[in-house]
Amino acid sequence: MLTLKNISKSYNKGSIKAVDNLDLVINSGEIFGFLGPNGAGKTTTIKMIVGLLKPDEGSIVLDGVDVWRDSLKAKSIISYVPDNPEIYDRLKGIEYLNFIADMYGVSKEERKTKIYYYSKLFNIEDVLGDIISSYSHGMKQKLVLTSALLNNPSLFILDEPMVGLDPKSSFNLKEIMRKLCDEGKTVFFSTHVLEVAEKLCDRIAIINKGKIIAHGTMEELREHAKERTSLENIFLELTEDE
Amino acid sequence: MNKLISLIRTDLNITFGLSSIIHGFKAKKKIWQLLIIPLALLSLIPSYVLLIRGLWSFYDAFSQIGQQSYFLLMGFLASQLMVFFFGLMYVMSKYYFSNDLNHLVPLPIKPSQILTSKFVTIMVSEYLTSMPIFLPFAIIFGLKTNAGLLYWLYAVLGAIFLPVIPLVISSLAIMILMKYTNIKGKRDQLRIIAAGGFMIFAIWFQLKIQQISQKAILEGENFMFNLARDANLLVRSLGVAFPPSMWGALSLANYDSFLGLTNILLYSVVSIISFVLMIIASEKLFFDGLIGNIEVSASKHRNINKNLDKTMVATRPYLAIARKEVKMLFKTPIYLMNSVGGVIIVPIILAMSLVTGEASMEPISQFLYGNTDLVVIIGVGMIGILGMLNSVGVTTFSREGSNFWIMRTLPIKAEDQILGRLLASLFIQVIGALVLIVSIFFVIKLNILSIILILLLGLLASIPMTLLGMIIDIIRPMLTWTNPQQAMKQNFNVLIGMGLGTIYVGTLFFLIKFMFDKVDMFIIYLILMGILIISSILFFKVLMSLIEKRFRELE
Repeated sequence: MLTLKNISKSYNKGSIKAVDNLDLVINSGEIFGFLGPNGAGKTTTIKMIVGLLKPDEGSIVLDGVDVWRDSLKAKSIISYVPDNPEIYDRLKGIEYLNFIADMYGVSKEERKTKIYYYSKLFNIEDVLGDIISSYSHGMKQKLVLTSALLNNPSLFILDEPMVGLDPKSSFNLKEIMRKLCDEGKTVFFSTHVLEVAEKLCDRIAIINKGKIIAHGTMEELREHAKERTSLENIFLELTEDE
Repeated sequence: MNKLISLIRTDLNITFGLSSIIHGFKAKKKIWQLLIIPLALLSLIPSYVLLIRGLWSFYDAFSQIGQQSYFLLMGFLASQLMVFFFGLMYVMSKYYFSNDLNHLVPLPIKPSQILTSKFVTIMVSEYLTSMPIFLPFAIIFGLKTNAGLLYWLYAVLGAIFLPVIPLVISSLAIMILMKYTNIKGKRDQLRIIAAGGFMIFAIWFQLKIQQISQKAILEGENFMFNLARDANLLVRSLGVAFPPSMWGALSLANYDSFLGLTNILLYSVVSIISFVLMIIASEKLFFDGLIGNIEVSASKHRNINKNLDKTMVATRPYLAIARKEVKMLFKTPIYLMNSVGGVIIVPIILAMSLVTGEASMEPISQFLYGNTDLVVIIGVGMIGILGMLNSVGVTTFSREGSNFWIMRTLPIKAEDQILGRLLASLFIQVIGALVLIVSIFFVIKLNILSIILILLLGLLASIPMTLLGMIIDIIRPMLTWTNPQQAMKQNFNVLIGMGLGTIYVGTLFFLIKFMFDKVDMFIIYLILMGILIISSILFFKVLMSLIEKRFRELE
């Protein structure tokens, strides 16, 4: 279970509030979608969860581990896929995967199984011996996804994961997310693709100007909005009011 | 023209991070970091004052034999040669490896416009490095000779045009190199070998010319007579090594005569013409080396699972970090040239400058032979200094750049971070230490014990130096670079590291000098070892808490 309690983050000495007193509880075995317009605070929130941005206030707890107090322990059960796959492009794909596996302390047998399984699934097994700078954006994204799945994370957290993925990989990723949830793990991702959120997520939160303006299951969200049709309508209606 | 001005303005802004400095001031976040810069400069002042004092008496020496102009030639030569050698690296990375090229090439601008903007930025960088060398020479000469207004005017012109010709030569050399090595597959390796070979050749060539001209004038029958008759004799004879420096020196030394006027005209006009010619040539040369440089070839053999199997071995985190660091250093040409290149070239230059002065070698060699302990101490000190000069520790976090998120989101202990990065630096240091020992061998034949002592103590001295560098780098990592060159060569942390490193090594050196005749050498080595170990432990502890703190705080 991931608990975000009263977290805030501001920039420029408090003049810009990126995230404002945010409260969220995400249960284990749940796929949670995080929506919002550009600059609403999605990436800032995600960065605070994974240890890249220290919250000004509040606490983030994952399965009883305070993410900022006991950061090493927390990091060993979190896997993060950023929106922009900037990785060591002078290394070969396989070298990068081995490096990440070493950092998580993944055993030889386990890494072999997982690297073969996921690289085959994402169709990058043939290029693992190539230098990463020769990869396309989508291939890099798939490599980061593979690396994030090596350590069997309790929390799988992704920032705009569908961008740059081909339809088949996109489908596979959704399957993986579902499977992780079935195993009792938590999946948290931000997206602009409302269709994906609508079909895939158990619960959804919409953030605007650093505040959660609506959250719940699709059904609950529909009750909030006047036009109770698609998530697109709900999203447009809610974010326009602000 | 508007395009060009806009290009230059943007490139200067990106290179020197002007917007981000202003942003930092506005956000009131980085002010304390900006204060470190003047502090670092202050730490360099003592050695700079020492240098200027030396130059002051140096002038007198030449003045006594009536060859003051040679003093100026040395100023021009030293700074222009430095511009040339730094220029080779700046040009390589700025013209061919900076990230903005991917955006610039598709824009409707001429290759020459891109090149001009980059040339101007490098010029500015070169002023920053060459003026601290050139200005003392010019100012001391002016003050000592009570020179008139025209001298100072010529000096300003001399300073303004100083980097142009050396930079034009390095630009042309690199453009030709890149054009003809643009071969798929082994591009990087080919270029590194060619660049290394070229630099060694250039150093050798300079030294050889100086040596030949030195001999020619010394062996002339009427040397003393000629020396007394012609105040510019030395400049004319030795200036052939690099004529622009000769023109500069002659113009300043003879500012009050026609000779000065013709030389300053020659100096300025040739600078301008060479720049224009280089720009014209760039239309033909630049894109040929650049296009295709960006593309990376993938392997053709598709079924490589067998090889993959072998590579999938679990490694301890610090070893994995060390391996990754070394790989990145070796696979990024700019890092390789700065780190490995530095530790190889510096000892070679030193050895060459000693070996080429054959006549004067004998007494030095004999003196050192009777003082092997002195050789060991100097060797250890030099390896220690290389430990900072290799820039591996002092840019280790900066080099992560936009990839730094990986390190910060992975569960890595601070001690693994330190140990891994330290091992990478030591790996480079071993290469430097071996080259140094071979270089020393050309000057004096060392016994096995001395070699072992130099290696052991030298590597031990590299540890506190690397850790000190890492402390500086984690306090103010430079992560927002667009060109790997910025992470290593244009990183101010390197300068801060040099300042603090010089103080550290200098203190140890004076301590040893103090004990040298009073205490048994064995005890001195033990004390040295003790100090190195204790300071390493101390730096390690400081670094541990700093890493934990900074990994949380950075944004």
